[in-house]
Amino acid sequence: MRLCADGISWSVAGKRILAPLSFEVAAGECVVVVGPNGAGKTTLLRLLAGLLAPTTGEARWNGVPYARLGRRRLARHVAYVPQIRPARIPLTVEQLVLLGRFPYLSAWQMRPSAEDRAVAFGALERVGLEGFVGRPLDELSGGERQAVFIAAALAQQTDVLLLDEPTTHLDPKHQQEVARLLLDLSAGDERAVVLTTHDLNLAARLADRVLALSRGDLVVEGPGDEVLVPARLEQVFDVPFEVVVEPPQRYVLPRLQP
Amino acid sequence: MKGNGALGVLAVLWLAVLFAAPLLGPGRLDLDAALASGSIDATILWQMRLPRVLLALVGGAALAVSGTAFQTLFRNPLAEPYTLGVAGGAALGAVLALHIGEWSGFGGLPAVALASFAGAAAVGATLVALARTERGADSATLLLAGIAISLSCSALILFIQYQTDFTRSFRMVRWMMGGLVVVGYREVGWVAPWALAGSLFLFARRWGLDLLLAGEEVAASRGLDLDRVRWSVLAVVSLMVGSLVAVTGPIGFVGLIVPHMLRRFVGHTHGLLLPACFLGGGAFLAVADLAARTVMAPAELPVGVLTALMGGPFFLWLLLRRRTPLA
Repeated sequence: MRLCADGISWSVAGKRILAPLSFEVAAGECVVVVGPNGAGKTTLLRLLAGLLAPTTGEARWNGVPYARLGRRRLARHVAYVPQIRPARIPLTVEQLVLLGRFPYLSAWQMRPSAEDRAVAFGALERVGLEGFVGRPLDELSGGERQAVFIAAALAQQTDVLLLDEPTTHLDPKHQQEVARLLLDLSAGDERAVVLTTHDLNLAARLADRVLALSRGDLVVEGPGDEVLVPARLEQVFDVPFEVVVEPPQRYVLPRLQP
Repeated sequence: MKGNGALGVLAVLWLAVLFAAPLLGPGRLDLDAALASGSIDATILWQMRLPRVLLALVGGAALAVSGTAFQTLFRNPLAEPYTLGVAGGAALGAVLALHIGEWSGFGGLPAVALASFAGAAAVGATLVALARTERGADSATLLLAGIAISLSCSALILFIQYQTDFTRSFRMVRWMMGGLVVVGYREVGWVAPWALAGSLFLFARRWGLDLLLAGEEVAASRGLDLDRVRWSVLAVVSLMVGSLVAVTGPIGFVGLIVPHMLRRFVGHTHGLLLPACFLGGGAFLAVADLAARTVMAPAELPVGVLTALMGGPFFLWLLLRRRTPLA
């Protein structure tokens, strides 16, 4: 399985948000998209999720253009965990995760099938929230909510998983839990994972490849130890960086300016 | 009492209303006489009260089901066919027909009914067209557009009322109050098919409506076609509400109160909420109409006035006693 972006770009009202960009992600690979605010990271993810139609170029799942797949079939192959979600969602954990089965549900079945339930429960177990089944979503902490949304995406049983800033607003412990889960989902399960983040240490830990965007342009693409170096980072983020390498980990720190 | 149990209770309640409401009211019915054909009591029961109760049952269902669909679609607890101008368009059409007053209708349908249906359909089509523009309008834009259309309709209605003569103006005011006064089976036949087909259509889309509760971005990424859901729900609700308002005039608050009341018992998922609204909305309007024709007997209160009188304070009470926010 390969996910392929072929010269995709996006403009709105004549303003270019994302310049034509090509790259591929294979099963088992994790690509991390970094860049300053407004660089076009979320736009890129939304194009890959099929939520935006590219102005030029096309996205393909396993060689099939998105337009030909259609929304419902695309949702069986590509799942997306957005960062911005309604503040209040009047559903229980179980209801939300079961709705991950939407691309498989038919209007004629009165309730999700036993298989749907098994998949949904398996997804909850995967994120360690099997005890939360009947809990209202609005009573959960930020970390738990994020895990539930990841579980709902897993219930879609896709081979591509896209996540927009999955660790933002999480405490260090939950950040590490999500990072471990994502490693497991890409390398362990042979899924293609693409995520955006401002946490360059997370990028260093997870990325097989890093895509650095700035003002809608792809500045550099490559393995973490090539992209996450002071010279490149300063070029992308416009502030100096300190990088401490302590194998296997790489710590990326913005240097404080007087 | 939650979920399926609550739905069962509603079904029993609905049946009780269906059987009891035609027998109650000002002036006692002699049941034996009513069941024998040819008597005055039989005429009252079968030709006057039963069609009226049936119209209330399908009409209330249409309003509550539409209200639920709009609240979910627009992610706004205040959305209902009335806030969104569909009923306003219907009222404008009716008022125009009353002002002109020459045309007597077509195919057995009175001019006022035809004109108000056309008004609702025009507003519905405008909103659908907005939702289907190339860029597509997001839900917040559509909500505001609906409110703007609603306000424009109210202004035009006032303008026409100011222009018209006294008798017509009075008839307009009376029509705007909304009531189930002169109904027979013919009117039930106009409203029921839309109400039933529309409710079934929305029920078939219950998973998608559930998804919308999790946000449009999540819903779209699960495979829901947002644009299609928006315009098809708008079109279906316009037809359901337009056909009802054409017969009864605007009856407010049912589409607002009933869904909020029922969410407390059956929750927010549409597989339960939509059937509950169909039963509960119908029963609610039938009971309200029973009260409207009883409290001031032998005079009748238009049921639209009664629902509005009860609705405002009831809704406030509901808001203030909740511990959790509504939206």
